[in-house]
Amino acid sequence: MLLLKKTFLVCAGVGLVLLTGCASKPPAVVPEQAIVGRVPADPPKNPVIDAQTLNAQSKSIAVTDIYFKKEGKNLVFIEETRTTTGNSISSTIAPKTIEVDADKANASALTGGPNSSAFPVKFTDLSDPKSTAPGASPVITPVDPQTSSNSSNTQAQSSKKSGYESKMEYGELRYLANPIRGLLIKSGYKVVQAKSTAAMPNQGDEYFDIVKRIKAGDFGDADYVLYGVLAEVSNTDNVADIPGTRSTSHQMTLEVTVDFNIVDTKTSQIVASFIASGEGKDVQIDGRDTAYKPSAAKLMKLASLDLAEDVRKNLAAQNFITNNPGSAGYERNLKRRIEDDASTLKVYK
Amino acid sequence: MIMKIHTKTIYLSIFALSTVLLAACSGPQVRYGDAKAVETVNANYGSTDLQMIAEAMTRSLLQSKAISGSKDAPIVTLADVKNKTSEYIDTRVITDKIRTQLMKSGQVRFAVSITEMQNQTDELKRQNQSGLYKNSTIAKTGNMQGAQYRIEGSIASIVKNTKDVKDVYYVFNLNLINNESGLLEWADEKEIRKTATR
Repeated sequence: MLLLKKTFLVCAGVGLVLLTGCASKPPAVVPEQAIVGRVPADPPKNPVIDAQTLNAQSKSIAVTDIYFKKEGKNLVFIEETRTTTGNSISSTIAPKTIEVDADKANASALTGGPNSSAFPVKFTDLSDPKSTAPGASPVITPVDPQTSSNSSNTQAQSSKKSGYESKMEYGELRYLANPIRGLLIKSGYKVVQAKSTAAMPNQGDEYFDIVKRIKAGDFGDADYVLYGVLAEVSNTDNVADIPGTRSTSHQMTLEVTVDFNIVDTKTSQIVASFIASGEGKDVQIDGRDTAYKPSAAKLMKLASLDLAEDVRKNLAAQNFITNNPGSAGYERNLKRRIEDDASTLKVYK
Repeated sequence: MIMKIHTKTIYLSIFALSTVLLAACSGPQVRYGDAKAVETVNANYGSTDLQMIAEAMTRSLLQSKAISGSKDAPIVTLADVKNKTSEYIDTRVITDKIRTQLMKSGQVRFAVSITEMQNQTDELKRQNQSGLYKNSTIAKTGNMQGAQYRIEGSIASIVKNTKDVKDVYYVFNLNLINNESGLLEWADEKEIRKTATR
């Protein structure tokens, strides 16, 4: 009995010693605190952008909305009936205008393709003076006097003329550039709001004259202007079998391709130039069977985010931004924020 | 009287026990054997052939430049192994065994193979299109990883019979193909000869 008591006391003692040992363990190592901005900046790699330029705390950039130019064609069909009664001539003109896509007009009506049955005449460019000249031989159909006129001295002539009118539409897409502005802010640039520009009547390609807009002061005191012109937008809707399954994959894609340039507002020099594309994709398994309709808003968001990512890669490849974590651009951006309110912001490495 | 009853009970118990033991002895005898033991029941394709092929191929594949020289464990998928023999051989068992051994090595990752795609698409469809799952936890459609390589091959045999002798020669070929370039990155074969005499 005494032995048991002693053993119990020894065990309790050892347990207490072990517990004390655990309790007095040194605390976990606190990660080293370092305020960014002490890291030396990366040396400039782009000869166009020097060290001072890379010190982007004072550099600002304006990002325009994405310009676009849309070509449209109107198919025009004019039927004119001219009636001559004695010395008086009266004329009735019945024009018919149908708006079609430029490529559709080119592919069908002009070349005698599928649409040519709807317009059974050869289409000519009405803006071309040669095609509309008096000698351009419009189709003239003499009208039978017995059916068209009751009097013997009345003559009627019917002429048909058809063709197309080209029209250009210029404008800005307002919803693609914001993620790009965001990435430039993240990389340390100050982003300046650009004035939007409205297309004038009979606008030509001078709409894209960025230097003219810089001189007009549309971008305030921005050091650079990033502007993009929409090259192509395409929507695709494809269904494909998934091998090894009974299912199909319904893929709806919105793809935008934009041509970008960055212009130095002081020198009008292009300091970066590239083409970037973004894709928004929605995939539904067996979507065709369920008549699934994708959300256009979701596709647009995905496409604009993807476009911004491609822009980031291109800007980094041309050394306009270095926003990888730990890089100078990243550090600069954080430093700028810390300097704004040094008492509250700390970065732990 | 009591003595008589006790004796009767003892006799009855002995009789019942003997009956049970006899019944047990008359059924099939079952015993566990060594799964890796050499099997020579006949000259047909058997478990030893499967084990030899899988072991040889795994060892060789792990030594290949494509696998051992890769910084990250490459993603591989299983394709068909064609059975060109006259026997029924479930070649999927061979590739599954190779896959298991490769996975255990940790040097290779496997993407679902074509035979496993139905389950994969069903699961993605269930998570993404049923509307039942919390968005942040959904395994999103469009994020499957494509395999860098695929493993495919064939097994062929030559069989010769005489009155007393049956000779079977198996050759198992396995290839590792780069899916992007179409280049054959590794290939090896395992030959097995089996002769049965009466």
